[in-house]
This record gives sequence, C-alpha cells and structure tokens, in this order.
Amino acid sequence: MKEKMTIMLGIGVTTLVVFTFGFYLLANPSIELFDIISIPIILIIVLTSTYIIYDRYKNIKKGLPAQDERLKLAAYKAGYYGFVAAIWSAVGSNMGSIILFDEELRGGLVTAAVVLISGIVFMLSYFYFSRKGE
Amino acid sequence: MKTRIKEFRARYDMTQEDLAKKVNVRRETIVFLEKGKYNPSLQLAHDIAKALNSTIEELFIFEK
Repeated sequence: MKEKMTIMLGIGVTTLVVFTFGFYLLANPSIELFDIISIPIILIIVLTSTYIIYDRYKNIKKGLPAQDERLKLAAYKAGYYGFVAAIWSAVGSNMGSIILFDEELRGGLVTAAVVLISGIVFMLSYFYFSRKGE
Repeated sequence: MKTRIKEFRARYDMTQEDLAKKVNVRRETIVFLEKGKYNPSLQLAHDIAKALNSTIEELFIFEK
C-alpha cells in the first residue's frame, strides 16, 4: 500500500512539473537562454523519474518489492555523493562565475546551481550504484 | 565472495524470480549475488539459506 502511494505521488509530482513548465513557457512569449538551458535539465529529471516509477510499478506487479536493501544502500551512497556535490557546487559555482565572467552570481542562481548539480549527481550515482551491484 | 546460490537454486528447480519473491528482494539483487558482485546483509544471507534449505556457510564462500 505504501509503495503504491509512493508511485501515485511520483506520477502526480512528475505531471505537475511537466504542466508547470509548459504553462511557464506558454506565458513567456520570448524564450531566453536560461529557459533553453532548463529544458534538457527538466527533461532529464522527468525521464528519470518516469523510469523509476515504471521500474517500481513493474516489480510490484510481479509481486516483488519496489526497493530492497541493495537499492537502499545505493540510495544512501548516492545521497552522500549528492551532499558532497551540493557543498562543492555552492562554493564552485560562484567561484567559477568570478573566474570566467568576472561577476558574482545572484543568490537565486547559486541556489539553482546547488539544487540542479546535487540532484543530477544524486540521480547519476544512484543509477551507477544500482547497476553496479556493490 | 563466491556463492553457490545458482547451484542450490537449480537443485530445487527455482528461478531467480521465485527466490527473490521468497526472500522479498528484487530479481537483480539475486543476479548480483550469484555473480558475487553484492555482499548481502546477515539477515538476507540467512533468509536465502533458509529458502534453499541450506546454511550460510554452504552458500557463501568467503575469500580473503
């Protein structure tokens, strides 16, 4: 029951992300560079979450658990890497901007960089560990 | 670590999915266990041994 609720919640959140982004693009007649960059990121997040939801649904349908001790371990490890990436991106994004463009990033952009980089690192390392085994 | 899970599974004509259902893990976990790519928890090792009417010592061969 708990696993089915998680899947339903995942589908709901993914759908909301797609609709919100769709409405945002429709409301903005002129698409800026930042919007174009955000499209592949949103696509990666939506496709990954769709895959995870499908994978969990497939296992539940077969009578197998959606998550077991190996995947929990993979999630813990990926969480650690995501945390390290968050710290480095908080420091590195601003530093990189100063070195490359001689300009400090606005607070909102630093937050966006931290969320996106740590999120992407978490997802990639989760997939890597779940496919690698140990 | 080497395992004899595949051998014991074949003895009872059990598929990877059957064993996974019995010990409540995903099928891929059984695949990784058989390949020696995953070290199970003591609880899982115990559950697998019980499902295959065996012992942990018989199923899992530890190598230094």
